[in-house]
Amino acid sequence: MLITIAWRNVWRNWGRSLVVIGSIVIGIWALIFMLGFMNGFTISYVNGSIRNEVSHIQVHHPDFREDYDIEFNITDGVARTKEILKLPEVKAAAPRSIVNGMLSSPRKAGGARIMGIIPELEKEVTRHDSLLAEGVYFTGDQRNPVILGIDLAEDLRTEVGSKIILTFQNENHDLVAGAFRVTGLLNTTSPIINKSRAYVRMEDLNRILGTDDDVHEIAVYLNDPEQVPVVMDELQPRFDGMDIESWRSISPDLELFLSMTDSFLWILVGIIMVALVFGIINTMLMAVLERYRELGMLMAVGMNRIRVFLMIVIETLFLSLVGGPIGVLAGFLTMHWLGIQGIDLSAYSEGLREFGYSSILYPYVADKTYLIASSGVIITAILGALYPAYKAIRLNPIEALHTV
Amino acid sequence: METTEEQKTVIRTTDISKTYHESKIPVQALKDVDLEIRHGEFIAIVGPSGSGKTTLLNIIGGLDNPTTGSIIIDGTDISKLKESQMIDFRLHNIGFVFQQYNLIPVLTARENVEFIMLLQKKHKNEMESRAMSLLEEVGLTDKANVRPSELSGGQQQRVAVIRALASRPKFILADEPTANLDSTSAANLLDMMARMNREEGMTFVFSTHDQRVIDKARRVVTLEDGKIISDEVRS
Repeated sequence: MLITIAWRNVWRNWGRSLVVIGSIVIGIWALIFMLGFMNGFTISYVNGSIRNEVSHIQVHHPDFREDYDIEFNITDGVARTKEILKLPEVKAAAPRSIVNGMLSSPRKAGGARIMGIIPELEKEVTRHDSLLAEGVYFTGDQRNPVILGIDLAEDLRTEVGSKIILTFQNENHDLVAGAFRVTGLLNTTSPIINKSRAYVRMEDLNRILGTDDDVHEIAVYLNDPEQVPVVMDELQPRFDGMDIESWRSISPDLELFLSMTDSFLWILVGIIMVALVFGIINTMLMAVLERYRELGMLMAVGMNRIRVFLMIVIETLFLSLVGGPIGVLAGFLTMHWLGIQGIDLSAYSEGLREFGYSSILYPYVADKTYLIASSGVIITAILGALYPAYKAIRLNPIEALHTV
Repeated sequence: METTEEQKTVIRTTDISKTYHESKIPVQALKDVDLEIRHGEFIAIVGPSGSGKTTLLNIIGGLDNPTTGSIIIDGTDISKLKESQMIDFRLHNIGFVFQQYNLIPVLTARENVEFIMLLQKKHKNEMESRAMSLLEEVGLTDKANVRPSELSGGQQQRVAVIRALASRPKFILADEPTANLDSTSAANLLDMMARMNREEGMTFVFSTHDQRVIDKARRVVTLEDGKIISDEVRS
């Protein structure tokens, strides 16, 4: 009967209950949508970074990443990359010969990292062939081609078809230089690539450097990101003395970004819960004060305080149990739809690209978010019910019975 | 000497006084009230406004404590009970009828009648049959499944009386039960209560201004300035 009374009390004042239920629905929906949006950004950024820049695993000489000196190389890197490609978990792998150098156009000069790549292998790892804003991706019939990050080209005030000079140190620390022709401009979601990367063929770079088959980096892209630890274990004996790192340790910013999204989930849940708590307290307090005489009667005829307390709490729970599932369903459907359609942010894509985001965002939330949102609302409802319920049990039946 | 059911004392107040200290000047609502009410009585407590009727009824009903004096109901000194024990005592021993009916608006007439039995944890079948037979007794069988808002004032008060009666209390306290009723409804209600008093032996204690109630009462206790100034038993 307590449950019956509580349920019917919910519908006693339709308008008021619907306002609370509506705020619960909107609260949960907003929570799920905001998190989906945030996650979409994070996933877009992290996946973009892995796909176009970092890959899942990288192999280096242990000292290479300290100062990018070309002597810290992986001997026979090209041949060993081909061995890595034989692993079933590996989708693509590419060796890179890397130097830091100076790029000079007839109009301006600037520093950049020069990546000597094998285009056929590299494009499988980073898909840079599909990210050209202008020009073509290493067609094979050009001499000394270079592909520049789009912002780097702008900084150098150069364009496709122009020649630039690449200057860097060789193994003997002598300055060497080569003339390269810009054949393409790369426009990725990574600001680092766009602003400070020049891609040349490894054979061209190594010829100038005077090295052969040695490389400085092997990037490995897997079929399944979950297999990173397994493949790292497999690579360890093959690259004894080398650093084998996952994307998490190569780019700690990505890891930080992911953990920030998790923290944001709790902050958002907290904010929405606080807002809901006050809404619920307000409504239930009104409901209690409005029924003061009735509650006084219930206590006068022998309904004990625990039951009165429970009745108010159950009533509040019902409000959240009606609003909660509707909010979760609305959130789920929105996420499902937007997960397929995506949100077109092309109006802001210039600014977004600066930060490494793509222009179509696919919101996503993990299943646990629905659970957290639902539990959060139930906890909120209980918390919100406590004060009104306390107020109800503190009433004096005699005074309450004489309330008009 | 053996005490018969009719002679058994249900309520005994001894030297009850009640002083309120809500303002700077203490207000003495009751002064040394001694009252004994026996099983089966149909008693009206009358007096002008402020004479202490409601205070006395609240104290007899265990809703308020006297400042001094004792109140014994069916052998239990209720002034010594803790609050939680008092709530339980009220539930099992005292029936209440209020001036404003105070039915639970979200329950039907039948559910309202069953409500106190439910708090007493009576069996479902027992509750249903008791509620239906009482509704039949007061001519409200056809209204069993309607909510109070669809009942007239007289019908609501009849439901309130049988709600109090259904739980088989030791006595029923009715605070101005006819105050909000028209004369026909009031007469019907009084007839019904008188019949229940006669047939079920239920003890009724009213506080009232209403001459129609006073006329029906078999004992009239008059209060003035918190004191009993007359106690008239009628044949």
